[in-house]
Amino acid sequence: MTRSGRQNLVLGFLLAPVTLYLGVIFLGPLLIIAVFSILTPGLYGGVEWSFYHWNYGCLFGWADGIMEVFEPIYLMILGRSLLFAALTVLVCLALCYPVAFWVSRLPGRWRSFFLFLVTLPFFSSLIVRLYAWLLILKPSGLLNSAWLSVGVISEPLEILYTPAAVVLGMVYIMIPFMFLPLYASADTLDRSLVEASLDLGATRAQTFRKVIHPQTLPGILGGRMIVFTPAVCNFVVPDILGGAKGLMIGNLVEQQFLSARNWPFGSALSMVIMAVVLSVLVIFVSRGRRVADGGIA
Amino acid sequence: MTTRSGWLLLTLYALLFFGFIYLPLLVIVGHSFNANPVNMMIWDGFTLDWYRRLLGLGERATAPNNRAVDVESTDQMISALKHSLTVALFKTTISTLIGTATAIALARYRFRARRAYNAFLMMPMMMPMMMPDIVPGIGLLIFFVTIGIKLSLVTIVIGHCTVLISYVFIVVQARIAGLDPALEEASADLGASEWVTLRKVLLPQLAPGILGGALLAFVISMDDLVITYIIAGTDSTTLPVFIFGMIRRGVKPEINAIATLIILASVLIAGLGLWLRS
Repeated sequence: MTRSGRQNLVLGFLLAPVTLYLGVIFLGPLLIIAVFSILTPGLYGGVEWSFYHWNYGCLFGWADGIMEVFEPIYLMILGRSLLFAALTVLVCLALCYPVAFWVSRLPGRWRSFFLFLVTLPFFSSLIVRLYAWLLILKPSGLLNSAWLSVGVISEPLEILYTPAAVVLGMVYIMIPFMFLPLYASADTLDRSLVEASLDLGATRAQTFRKVIHPQTLPGILGGRMIVFTPAVCNFVVPDILGGAKGLMIGNLVEQQFLSARNWPFGSALSMVIMAVVLSVLVIFVSRGRRVADGGIA
Repeated sequence: MTTRSGWLLLTLYALLFFGFIYLPLLVIVGHSFNANPVNMMIWDGFTLDWYRRLLGLGERATAPNNRAVDVESTDQMISALKHSLTVALFKTTISTLIGTATAIALARYRFRARRAYNAFLMMPMMMPMMMPDIVPGIGLLIFFVTIGIKLSLVTIVIGHCTVLISYVFIVVQARIAGLDPALEEASADLGASEWVTLRKVLLPQLAPGILGGALLAFVISMDDLVITYIIAGTDSTTLPVFIFGMIRRGVKPEINAIATLIILASVLIAGLGLWLRS
């Protein structure tokens, strides 16, 4: 289709800002991190422009033993982060799935109401919600006081600053991200298939496994994808609720950049995280595609 | 569900779930009125003191000496709030303008790079899914420091707009998709130039979408912690960053009051968003 010169001008005017902006401010920093990961750390922070592969060496095993030493703890922290993220995804899924199902079965007006009700708490600031959990999980907080008064425990439990607190915090933060895809999927459930299955003699468990679950699979996979990466790289939750035992890879990167001022190492860490996360995502997406192609009717 | 008891069980679970979600918010709101700021389980009586101190009408007028430190941090909190609002206003304006312009461009014009642009714009939004959100934050930090721009509120605005543009774009794009192009065609047929059609026909129709996008951008930018934390200068704290720091350093009782106010504000905004959509 041919356009007049005038139209081209308008088009250019409309597109120029975003091109410039995203090109420079978004892609630029990514490139910088990639480049910095192979540079030498400067003496007082910053970088020196010479090739230095030992940033990756510290992570993966080769080091000159003088300035840089291989610390397996970095890989351990990465592994721990992946584990926490996986746990978060599972718990979140288990928590949200029944409710998504329940809401999708409600009549129209109620459905909108409860959908709004689910998303409402998550409009308020992240930091406020995490602070609330700090109050609840403290030794003098709500949880311990309640259990102590009922008599379930005789001493306050140390929940705060344990991995459990971190996973709990992350699950709480991620609930809307898991709930909404699950709900969208549950909403498309074909009830006639469910009825047919029960009519043909299948038990409720079998019906769930073979009829309901496959149809909600896109929602499950979508939710998992959305929740996993932020869970791996989160540094706010471990910082507030985790303490030393809950240190995750996000905290490590933050430390390297803001405290230790070792930018190249922090960049290398970031590149590694990105690579890991992207590979997991690729696995998720290919699974999703297999489900879409060969799975359900 | 096939059985009545099955449905009841599920309903019970759902209600517990909702209780779980709302519990933290209720705890904060309740605690903000507690005269005992340290131990929230001990109710020392209802008080509005923390709110008064927040708004500057508190006991410090009568006992300036031993309240010196508290005054300071409350003032810092207010200034952090002001920073948050200022920054959010700028970010919202910029991202709404750019995002809307882009959405119009992609919807109303056909050009070869269109698909590429679509993907390009989705990227900042997919970013949290594809990479740690600290990565762009840190990249921006290096970027600014290397170029020599001092970290300040300006850098916060510049840095965070990227994601916001994508969000506004998505909202406005959805709205445009539902519009009838016949109106614009009629306007062109009647002799109006490109600009006039844009201004008098398209934009008014787009208004709810633009408002919705702006609202979304505002909410996200008020709440941003990660990027702001990394690229904020020393004297340009925003409210979430300030509260974050406070949690690490030592909590003041006013924090419950301001947290409650934040919750209240977010409820109002959510309600506004709901009203806009209907």
